[in-house]
Amino acid sequence: MRSTFMGLETARRGMFTQQSALYTTGHNISNANTPGYTRQRINFAQTEPYPGVGMNRPQIPGQMGTGVEAGTVQRIRESFLDLQYRTENTKMGYYGAMSESLTKMEEIINEPSENGLHSTLEKFWNALQDLSSHTENTGARDVVAATGQMVADTLNYYHNSLSRVQEDIGNQVGVKVDEINAIVAQIDHLNKQIASVEPHGYMPNDLYDERDLLVDSLSQLVNVKVSGVVPNTYGDAKPMAAGLYNIEIVQKDGKSYNPPINLISVTKESGIVGTNKVELEKNEESGLVTGLKIGSSSFTQFETLSGELSGLINSYGYEAGGSAKGAYPEMLEKLNRMASAFAKEFNEIHKNGYALGADTTSGLDFFEFDEKNPAQSMKVNQALLDDSSKIAAAAEKGGASGDNKNAQLLADLRKKSFSDYSSLTDNEKSKLNGSLDSYYSGIIGRLGVDSQSAKKDLKNSAVLADSVDRNRQSVSAVSLDEEMTNMIKFQHAYNASARNITVVDEMLDKIINGMGVVGR
Amino acid sequence: MRVTQSMLSNNMLRNLSNSYSRMDKLQDQISTQKKFTKPSDDPVAAMMGMNYRTDLNRIQQFTRNIGEVRNWVDSTDDALDKGVLALQRIRELTLRASNGTLEGDQRKAVAEEVKQLKEHLQNIGDTQVGGKYIFNGNQTNVRPSESGFQSGTIELEVFSGIKIPVNTEGKALFGDMLSDDGDIQKLITALETNDPAVWDMLESVDKNIDNFLSARALIGAKQNRVELMEDRLSQQEVFSTRILSDNEDIDMEKAIIELTTQESIHRAALSVGARIIQPSLTDFLR
Repeated sequence: MRSTFMGLETARRGMFTQQSALYTTGHNISNANTPGYTRQRINFAQTEPYPGVGMNRPQIPGQMGTGVEAGTVQRIRESFLDLQYRTENTKMGYYGAMSESLTKMEEIINEPSENGLHSTLEKFWNALQDLSSHTENTGARDVVAATGQMVADTLNYYHNSLSRVQEDIGNQVGVKVDEINAIVAQIDHLNKQIASVEPHGYMPNDLYDERDLLVDSLSQLVNVKVSGVVPNTYGDAKPMAAGLYNIEIVQKDGKSYNPPINLISVTKESGIVGTNKVELEKNEESGLVTGLKIGSSSFTQFETLSGELSGLINSYGYEAGGSAKGAYPEMLEKLNRMASAFAKEFNEIHKNGYALGADTTSGLDFFEFDEKNPAQSMKVNQALLDDSSKIAAAAEKGGASGDNKNAQLLADLRKKSFSDYSSLTDNEKSKLNGSLDSYYSGIIGRLGVDSQSAKKDLKNSAVLADSVDRNRQSVSAVSLDEEMTNMIKFQHAYNASARNITVVDEMLDKIINGMGVVGR
Repeated sequence: MRVTQSMLSNNMLRNLSNSYSRMDKLQDQISTQKKFTKPSDDPVAAMMGMNYRTDLNRIQQFTRNIGEVRNWVDSTDDALDKGVLALQRIRELTLRASNGTLEGDQRKAVAEEVKQLKEHLQNIGDTQVGGKYIFNGNQTNVRPSESGFQSGTIELEVFSGIKIPVNTEGKALFGDMLSDDGDIQKLITALETNDPAVWDMLESVDKNIDNFLSARALIGAKQNRVELMEDRLSQQEVFSTRILSDNEDIDMEKAIIELTTQESIHRAALSVGARIIQPSLTDFLR
């Protein structure tokens, strides 16, 4: 025989449960704009029917429902979409950093324009041509010296500006490393909080959201593989519990490094093992990155790494096998090589010419530079700037005012292939190709292609990340319309349950006050 | 697919921002008149652009050089023309003086005129173009009448690798005609001393005239060559400019039409966005 008050209890459960659902609806609405928030749902579950199964169960026909209870509060989220999103986010970080630093490089080099090195060089060659038609003219000579200085200035400017931006990027590398460490520390903290909640059978949904949001931002910085680990001894944790996050740095293609590199280690056997800090290792002298120290292992395979950190390191430069790699050091190296070859050969021709009215070869260098840093230190010999008649335009003894043969040799340097430069060693020649003009336009073309492809890859990964994120939003974001509809649904169910109590109340009233009073 | 308000508003924001960036690009193109401003906008075109610019610049420089060549050649031609006239006058005078009927005083008067003509020839030898003595070999800053004629050739580059010699060596042209014991001085002395050998002088005067005439013929040929070269360069300049322009200049009509289209798309996006993100169920529940 069932209890008299069972109807009351059933209705109460209904009210109670609908109320919880309404509170969750309220929570969803409140957090509709919270970044990283995943909508939550209360899984309603029917309570044990009456009578329960057993030998001494009452013999009544069938089982009777006893109402509803709030089961788990569940996040509505698909972890596969997270995985996809993070993969694209990592690429976005990498190409974003790469494309930004290459764009800066393009802005500095500023080609094609009226102020770039190309047009400065054009002016210089023109000045030499003018010198060859007006050899005796002091004005034409001064122009050669001055435009030569312009060429040197432009190279100095390129070198200094590129170095400065490179330095900025270097600082950013440091900042990003700190950011990674900060995020890892926060995730670790959340792991610990979650570890103190889950074993009690609860689902710390809001902590999960926070942790996933942190992993999203971590994935932008470095490519990570995240796995939820539920330790073997984990109290009364629900099977649905997400567990603790083990975070591993993986290669571009998602494969683990050998041995694996963990930022946060969690194992089934011993739970949270610990976290590893990332430390930057730099060459004291060159300032270039030589490695990342992660825990006890030292990491040097930057070309297999992705994410913003890797993009920045690949721009800033790192040392591998004794040589400098990366966009900025390589560009600086190319400029240096070009500047040094050009200045050396120009000097060589200049030295062997005769100044105005001179009976001995000039012997003066036109450009002066420091071998270690040609592009940065290049300048026109002060003696020539002071007295342009010392410019060796003549090729014959006596330095006749109409002798323009050396000026023409100098002007012809633009067409000369690097391999024909007499001033260079074979080793130097092998690193250059074509003429000065074609080598330089090659540098620009290469920069353009690199920058364009970084931009294109950034766009593609952004589009993919976007579409994955849209799918993710489609699953997890709060729809106000939906919540409003639910609210009405739950409200009506709540009201109906309350009305149910009134019905039972009237029924009890009948039993208590209206029964057994026959004839009164 | 389940669609939420935040997705709609994010989507709208993204679309608007894409639309803005397209407008930015078009605005950039229209105000700079260039299809691209950075190598990464179009690496191949940027690289080709640098090469075309080099070509154009070289052509312009060669045009300047050839202007200088023309200057030399025309001035030389003019000087030679004057020189020939002076020498022909000397020849006339010599012819007249060799006539046996002339008195000693009359010969002296002829000698005076020849002296003037000698000086005139000397002035021609000192011809300057842009401050340069064009008949003094490569010693262009030295006055030939003071130092005697020097030798040396001056060449200017008028096209890639093509050099034209621009000067006429005064030494070969004038020989020792103008020196203190040269042909003309001998003639003057003969006239002053009433020497009957004046007749014999005619031969050397003729030889000098021949010299000048053949130099003029050479200069004439050079003038023709310069003209051809100038034509060729100006044609090349037109081609190069066109190629450069095709490569990097925008098509204004096209760009403006694109901008207008983009603008109307942007307006549509704004108004549609404003309509879509506004209503929600909340607005219709009491």
